[in-house]
Amino acid sequence: MKKLFKRAVTAALSLIICGYTAVFTASAKEPYDVYNYDRWGEPIPSQAGYTAERAVSGHDLGVGAFDMPSDIFCAFDGNFYITDTGNSRIIAVNSDFSETVKVYDSFTMPDGTKTTLKKPSGIFISAENQLMYIADTDNSRVLVSDLSGSVVREITKPDSEIYGGQRTFNPQRIIADKAGNIYVVLNNITTGAAMFSPDGEFTGFYGANRVQPTAEIIGDYVSGLFMSEEKRARRTRNVPSGITSFDIEGDFIYTCTSSSSQTTDTVKKLNSAGKNIFANNEAVFGDYSPMYDTSQNRLLASAIVDIDIAEDGNINCLDLTMGRIFQYDEDCNLLFIAGTNASQVGGFKQAAALESCGDRLYVTDTMKNTVTIFKETDFGKAVHKASSLHNDGYYEEALLPWMEVLKYDGTYNRAYLGVAAAKLRSGDYEEAMKYAKLADAGKIYDKAFEGYRMEFIKNNFEPILLAVIFGLIAIAGCVKIRKDKKAALATERKKEKTDEKEG
Amino acid sequence: MWDLTPVQWVIHAITHPVEGFEDMRWKKSGSLKIAFFIVCMLFLANIAAERLYGFNHYVPYDKIFNVVPYIVRSFVLFGAWTVGNWAVCTLLDGEGTMKNICIYSAYALVPYVAQMFINTLLSHFLIRDESVFITIVAVIGTGWSAILLFSAIRSVHQYSALKTVFAIILTIAAMLIMLFLLILLLFLIQQVVIFFSTLFMEISYRLKD
Repeated sequence: MKKLFKRAVTAALSLIICGYTAVFTASAKEPYDVYNYDRWGEPIPSQAGYTAERAVSGHDLGVGAFDMPSDIFCAFDGNFYITDTGNSRIIAVNSDFSETVKVYDSFTMPDGTKTTLKKPSGIFISAENQLMYIADTDNSRVLVSDLSGSVVREITKPDSEIYGGQRTFNPQRIIADKAGNIYVVLNNITTGAAMFSPDGEFTGFYGANRVQPTAEIIGDYVSGLFMSEEKRARRTRNVPSGITSFDIEGDFIYTCTSSSSQTTDTVKKLNSAGKNIFANNEAVFGDYSPMYDTSQNRLLASAIVDIDIAEDGNINCLDLTMGRIFQYDEDCNLLFIAGTNASQVGGFKQAAALESCGDRLYVTDTMKNTVTIFKETDFGKAVHKASSLHNDGYYEEALLPWMEVLKYDGTYNRAYLGVAAAKLRSGDYEEAMKYAKLADAGKIYDKAFEGYRMEFIKNNFEPILLAVIFGLIAIAGCVKIRKDKKAALATERKKEKTDEKEG
Repeated sequence: MWDLTPVQWVIHAITHPVEGFEDMRWKKSGSLKIAFFIVCMLFLANIAAERLYGFNHYVPYDKIFNVVPYIVRSFVLFGAWTVGNWAVCTLLDGEGTMKNICIYSAYALVPYVAQMFINTLLSHFLIRDESVFITIVAVIGTGWSAILLFSAIRSVHQYSALKTVFAIILTIAAMLIMLFLLILLLFLIQQVVIFFSTLFMEISYRLKD
């Protein structure tokens, strides 16, 4: 008997273990466990949306090893421009990373002299005026040049009082909008990105982060109310973290902030007035909860060092801490998580910049000195198709793509939401309720339930009316009977009393 | 005249917030069995309101089911109330026995429990825009229970209104102290268990060598 029991236990255990390994080998190609978040916000194994195709080094391109490639940009002509920071040059690579188009190591100034870069760390190419904007960090300047390498404009530290004379001017990242206004993220500046007019005039700061309202800061504020002017002037000031990187898409600028302490404003979507559209968004960017690393005794919280907006509006965030790419759709719903900290292709040592082009993602690594190319998988393609249809408002058209997604990954929460929305739109309320429940979407469920209730009442109006009428009659009857009983009891008592009196 | 069955007494107490409990005290009625049943219903109502509520109004965390919070919210809280009130009111010249406090307080909870069940049912018929009806039911039920509880404490101890308020505030303080001590005790027991388990582990390792 005992032996039999032991055998049964072993069989059950081995079955469970088999089940587990089966789950985890579902996407074994990547050098990490691909995961996503389920409807309870807990990580679960998932299908990979992106898979690492290859890693390209400087040797592969015939330009010698990269040294800390810190930024990459996909230009309008399909070429990629990489800032090879350590080698102080910019390398233009063709669209499939097979050969180098041009190496920019020196530029011609308007007066004919040659100038070289010194650790450039940001690059942007404008499609409108076909100019190249370079954040020339250690030369403390911004160069605007055409694609042949002759400088159109040089922007150095502004004299403006708004800028402040004591501050340094070390451009880190740079973008330009359609009108040619230039935005520069500066190192150690917390008041936002410096803004320049197309002719190089400093016009102010743009998109500063807010101070996170922690208990300490609220306490400081309250105690500050009771301080004298002198005391208030001398205390340490609460300063938000500066912007780390940004990207522009249409009329909006998306910024990201990597900070070990700050959790508000890590990703922002700014309109032209500098107002954050994501301010009231409940979305969490990066991992939902930081991982505790026992070997270093510290929490590994996500630090988003670069952000990129794809052509279809998806938001790609690069997390330095865990070496992960987080992809969100335009409404900040998490789509995929890819990448890790590892030596294999698909892993990073120090992820620095991220760029998307077509169905691929390009990530530069300043320690491996490579550019890793990720390609969208079939699953990724299905999700992108469904989510872009959904976000454009074609809910019903997105139904089949979402069903396709569920065939790949039955735990993909976003798909249930999409199916529920599609069913609701097409008036299939019962199914919509079922899928909304699976997606934890109370609002959609509510709308579907409203329709379902309406239909139910319409179809069964006569029986409901009859039931209500009969119910009312029954209640009235009950009340009448009770009243009669009570009255009878009362008269009986009266009788008894009078009898007693008489007796 | 007052020859009511135990269940009729419950109805009488609930529907007569001012003198219902006085009448009950006068006739020395009230059943501990019914009181226990009501607290059990409170426990079930807590679970129903969490797990059977209409999905359009409330999205529960349904990955795991843990019964402990529901037990705490019904049995433990009610027990703490009874014991706390008894402890406080014995010192404040209250006339109520532990049994009577338990019975009267439980009877006073009936509208609250009913409100929870009614709302759980209503939430399956109403949409979010109509949730004001649910709120109305909840407010009426809870307020009614609060008035009844006040009246129950007043008549079980034969207090004046002001003294009842004072006693209730002290009771809540006593409940907090009790719960604090309970948590402290649990924590200390845990420490002791950890100590002995480490001791056992240490000795067993040494014996192995």
